[in-house]
Amino acid sequence: MIKKIEDWNYYELLNVERTASRQEIWEGYQAALATYDPGSLAAYSLVTEDERRLITERIQEAYQTLRDPEKKKAYDLALLKRSFYYAPKAPFRKSVGKVEIEEVGHKRGFREKVRLLFSRRKPDAGEP
Amino acid sequence: MDTRIWAVGGGKGGTGKSFVSSSLGLHLASLERDVLLIDADLGGPNLHTLLGMRNGHPDLGDFLTSKISMLEEAAVETPFPGLRIIRGTENILFVANLNHYRKLRLLRQIRQINAQDIILDLGTGSSFNTLDFFLSANPGIIVATPEPTAIENSYLFLKSCIMRVLKLYMDHYKIPDLHQKMLEQIEKNSQSLYGFFKSLVDADRSYGTILYRALRNFRPCLVVNKARDEKDLLLGRSMSDVARKYLLIDLHYLGAIPYDERVHESLKSMRPFFASHGDSATAKSVREAAEELAYSVEFSHRTPPEIRFPNGR
Repeated sequence: MIKKIEDWNYYELLNVERTASRQEIWEGYQAALATYDPGSLAAYSLVTEDERRLITERIQEAYQTLRDPEKKKAYDLALLKRSFYYAPKAPFRKSVGKVEIEEVGHKRGFREKVRLLFSRRKPDAGEP
Repeated sequence: MDTRIWAVGGGKGGTGKSFVSSSLGLHLASLERDVLLIDADLGGPNLHTLLGMRNGHPDLGDFLTSKISMLEEAAVETPFPGLRIIRGTENILFVANLNHYRKLRLLRQIRQINAQDIILDLGTGSSFNTLDFFLSANPGIIVATPEPTAIENSYLFLKSCIMRVLKLYMDHYKIPDLHQKMLEQIEKNSQSLYGFFKSLVDADRSYGTILYRALRNFRPCLVVNKARDEKDLLLGRSMSDVARKYLLIDLHYLGAIPYDERVHESLKSMRPFFASHGDSATAKSVREAAEELAYSVEFSHRTPPEIRFPNGR
């Protein structure tokens, strides 16, 4: 997904999983701060001064939110609501209490269609 | 046979590309794999020296000037079992400016070589030839050192690779008028890569999707060489974070190789460091990087996850 720095969520900014512990969040925060430190080598030449300031602010914001259990909970909920609906890939059909994958019909190729059109036998008639 | 082509490259000279390639070659050969090193540094080859060999014929130049018809004939045995090398040429200056036809012939023949691992040791700089060799390999490894100059050149190399990938896709899909626009936009600053894709997607979603997919398929690896302290060990992780956020690519960090004074000594005595100091921390980290890579290659072959853009489902 193409994202601006403003669009990265707090977990992505700190490079941690959503299930990360407080210790992991703290470590991610320290690593992220070091990455975008004014004297940082990793950001050298690629990240401009303005971008660096912006992302550092965002990282601070991220840590302030994620360190606080209350705020973290609220943020996680907001993230869930904000996330997009992903349509399931296979067509599903609900039947008696269980979900099963609908049979997708055999896709007929061009050659087969032509053969069906010109053959005398009806396609649905079974073998004699 | 399943041939894996590795390329070791990335921007600046003196970061240890040849050291990494030769060590990687020796490591893979010690695992009883059939390894071929190719010195694709067309401007200044010296991989053979690192392995304690003298320059001589046949070499890559003989193939490029059609003295020999098959590239594999240029491969010579090294003193190490399982490891062969195609030496780079020093004699012909114009080979550094390889033309398009010869380059394609070389790339095609590299793919046909009968070996389990082919390691391309690339030259410095971001010329089209170097980029094409780098992009043709599956694990493309960038070697950087913890110095601003090396970092700067690594990012430049990555940017050039990205532009090259996008250009190739634009040509292939005949996407018109985009190349100039891309050059203008991406040159300005890093965040403009995002801006470029945003405007591209707004203008034409299908082209945007094709190009974004192409970009995400480009998955280079990173090795930080000559690491001296704790901070340097973190550098690779930071670089991959920066690349993910500002260049929109996954830069796979393989690990850091600690600085070792003895590398210099081995070089002077013309004996490969990896063979003479196989138990050192430096050699160990090369092995670890190779293993990490071998493990992840399987995943990098996979098609990227489906792309969804924020606006419009």
